[in-house]
Amino acid sequence: MPKKIKNKKNFFTFQDVVFNLQKYWSKYGCVILQPYDLEVGAGTFHPATTLRSLGPKPWKAAYVQPSRRPTDGRYGKNPNRLQHYYQFQVIIKPSPKNIKQIYLKSLSSIGIIAKDHDIRFVEDDWESPTLGAAGLGWEVWCDGMEITQFTYFQKMTGIECKPISVELTYGLERICMFVQQKKNIFDIDWNSEGVKYKDVYFQSEKEFSAYNFDHANTDFLLKNFEMAESECKSLLEKKLSLPAYDQCLKASHIFNLLDSRGVISVAERTGYINRIRELAKGSGSIWLDNQIEK
Amino acid sequence: MSELLIELFSEEIPSNLQINARKQLENLLKQNLSSSNLEPKTLEIFSTPTRLAIFITGLPKIIKIPSTEIKGPKVGVSEDVINNYAKSKNLNISDLLEKKTEKGNFYFAKIKGREINTENELAKLIPLTLKDISWKKSMKWSDFELNWGRPLISILAIFNEKLLKFKFAHLETVNFTMLETEDQIKQIKVKSFYDYTNLLRKNEIILDHNERSEYILKKIISICKKKSCKETINQSLLTEVTNLVDKPNIITATFDKSYLELPKEIIRSTLQTHQKYFTLVDLKDRMLNEFIIVANNKDEKKLIKTGNERVVEARLSDANFFWNRDKSYNLIKQINKLKKIVFYENLGTVYDKTQRLRKMAYFISDQLNINKEKLEIASSVSKSDLASDLVSEFPELQGEMGKYFALNQGFEQDVSNAISEHYLPIGNSSIIPKKPISYSLSILDKLDNLVGFYLINEKPTSSKDPFALRRSAIGLLRTIIENNLVIKISDLIDYFIRIYLDQGVKEKNTQSKKELINFLRERMKNILKEKRIRTDIIEASISSHNNDNFLELYKKTLIMNKFISKELGKNAVSTYKRASNILEQERSISKDGPDAVLFKEEEEKELFERINIIRKAFTVKEDRKNYEEHLKLLSDTKLSTDKFFEKVKVNDDNNDIKNNRLELLQILCSTFNTFVDFSKLEGS
Repeated sequence: MPKKIKNKKNFFTFQDVVFNLQKYWSKYGCVILQPYDLEVGAGTFHPATTLRSLGPKPWKAAYVQPSRRPTDGRYGKNPNRLQHYYQFQVIIKPSPKNIKQIYLKSLSSIGIIAKDHDIRFVEDDWESPTLGAAGLGWEVWCDGMEITQFTYFQKMTGIECKPISVELTYGLERICMFVQQKKNIFDIDWNSEGVKYKDVYFQSEKEFSAYNFDHANTDFLLKNFEMAESECKSLLEKKLSLPAYDQCLKASHIFNLLDSRGVISVAERTGYINRIRELAKGSGSIWLDNQIEK
Repeated sequence: MSELLIELFSEEIPSNLQINARKQLENLLKQNLSSSNLEPKTLEIFSTPTRLAIFITGLPKIIKIPSTEIKGPKVGVSEDVINNYAKSKNLNISDLLEKKTEKGNFYFAKIKGREINTENELAKLIPLTLKDISWKKSMKWSDFELNWGRPLISILAIFNEKLLKFKFAHLETVNFTMLETEDQIKQIKVKSFYDYTNLLRKNEIILDHNERSEYILKKIISICKKKSCKETINQSLLTEVTNLVDKPNIITATFDKSYLELPKEIIRSTLQTHQKYFTLVDLKDRMLNEFIIVANNKDEKKLIKTGNERVVEARLSDANFFWNRDKSYNLIKQINKLKKIVFYENLGTVYDKTQRLRKMAYFISDQLNINKEKLEIASSVSKSDLASDLVSEFPELQGEMGKYFALNQGFEQDVSNAISEHYLPIGNSSIIPKKPISYSLSILDKLDNLVGFYLINEKPTSSKDPFALRRSAIGLLRTIIENNLVIKISDLIDYFIRIYLDQGVKEKNTQSKKELINFLRERMKNILKEKRIRTDIIEASISSHNNDNFLELYKKTLIMNKFISKELGKNAVSTYKRASNILEQERSISKDGPDAVLFKEEEEKELFERINIIRKAFTVKEDRKNYEEHLKLLSDTKLSTDKFFEKVKVNDDNNDIKNNRLELLQILCSTFNTFVDFSKLEGS
């Protein structure tokens, strides 16, 4: 029987961290969304960020996004690495003047009190070749540990952003390891009923690592990539930006899987990335056109 | 005394941008103040991550501009022109003066002396100066138009205790600064620089980056002393850390001793490059399991210390995991994995590169007379570590890790060393590889880069050199000259081109060999300039250099430079000049060389003999050449040449004899020019 955690003060479980961040950003005025229902590599790929950061309309949203990076899988053997993990994503357009203070306050809601720690903003400029996106910002360090990516988008799907959005991406596992003082991701307390991260995700890490590295059917995936690409293009012709973008996300995830299966030669790599970027660009510009028409 | 204080408060600006902005602000302000007739007593720029501050003292209240007369159009030009000129100076035609100058009569506008309020001038000048800062990387934020290093939040501007009002982009100046405490930000009024720094100091913020750097350094040195450690401080890390904090707090922390079994480079990379801590080594160069954190906050609950220790623990345990696994991966088997790492688009993979290096090892080991098998092995495994997780985690450890893997797998010491040393020299002043296997591999690796990029026509331009080909070329040349190597680079380039083409690379530049040799020659010029060699000597050497022996070029230049103002050099130069002066006046001289039968005087014969001796000496085998001897031979012709000019009249009535004498002088000059191009040398 799992041991219950007695109500310790200032102890935050994995789900507490999610709840508290949601509550905090909800209070701030964000739309609290749910994860996007497709495989994505990061919270940025959620259309609530990618597409909503385009155009003039103000937007505030926050959500958890399960993210998949097939090549980061370690069969559950590495204490710091996962092929599937969680990001908590906040996107605000236009970026508010006192965003730094607003962000620091959010930390205190999950047990990180700024005055007791060394919180540092370390230069980290961000670029996503598949999304045709770039931004400037920092990784936020807490006592030497990176806990958040803090980025001002300058360009998205190849389009200059105006006004500029700010994106905050909290690495939930890292933050939990930090506040719970754990050395191994799998030891994170998921809830206060004794359920650990390991209980929820260990088997999945093992199986998916095997799938990502050894068993994913590459012929099937290659066909799928082509299909997603052509579907995306045909939807773009019909000016359906969101369905088209879904196909772009699928193509992107298939590419990541093919990459981790090691079947994409180096010479082909750039070609694939360019193809996905074209899909993202098309989706972005049609989404923007459709916005203005309304 | 008057004082001007400007503070640009922003979100955290990265270290290199801060440094750059400080420099630019200082230069731009000096220029702009001076063109407004303002000469400050002091001008200082300070920065912290969030503050960029300007402090200027000694500006007058009033700028006095003396009266001047400004020259206008010539008297007699059309009325329109005169009218326009007067208008442009805010005058009527009747206000213009007529004045005589050397070039005739001109209209002059008399501009009265004026007095300008400094405050008004500053309100114009400061925003223009700020606008002129060019950020290496800049950004926009919110819905503003301004481009800045990071979001600019407010501008404090105080001139003589009063708000200096001006607008800059969407911002208007204010008389308060910002103070961040925990998760709050407060506005605090400021009246003077004294006020300002006092306020910051009360909050433990050190505004002056130099003072901050010294403070950190002092603390670190005292820790080193206490622990009997070497007091060598990583200077670039110190600069970066200084610009990452404004209230430094130096904390000593530890990690588990067992990690000391990892290669030092891994620990140093983890701690210094990734985490920005200072590592400690004792006097015997052994690393301690202690490190120094420069935090930006007090650590009353000791959470900062333990937090950082946990991060180090996690990172080292990660590295340890990779190290233990990677070191046992057979380097030869790893070569195949390099097929997945691109060298450069259109130039194949790193695997292809190692294949080229291995094939080239065969040729260069012949030229340099070194162990062929060892160089082939070193070439083959030189890049294998790039396929390891350790190097993908710590890219800065490429080569170093390969060396450790190789040693661990029983490769010979010199082969293992070559894996790390072939990347040398890293900067223009860093050390070069000194051991045969290492320097041969280094030369091949650099030449491979150069040939490849020239072949696909990705050549450096005056402003852009994305593949660091200049650095490769200088590294290559330094390795050759500092190891005293005679290499047939031209042949090596030919072989490289052939292998590249065999591998299926598409040639986009058919002149690559010629261009590359010229490129190397140009880089040689830079190396020689750095050694402060007279430019005419460099020109003379480069101009006569028509082969691919760069060691020869280097040595001759040094010899010329050494002797140019001594007897040896002077004699050679004056002899050459005397002969070439006569040739200059003649139109065409046959290049066949003189005919010994036509010599009438003893002096002619003697000079010709001397020349022949020299020419013979010049053609000895490379390794037996002594360039000082060569210069001495040239210099020694002075005697024969002087005698020649004393006794022999070049302008003989018989045209054949005259021409024969000119040809003799011509061959004398061309002999000199095969050493260096004497016509490029100045004076004496």
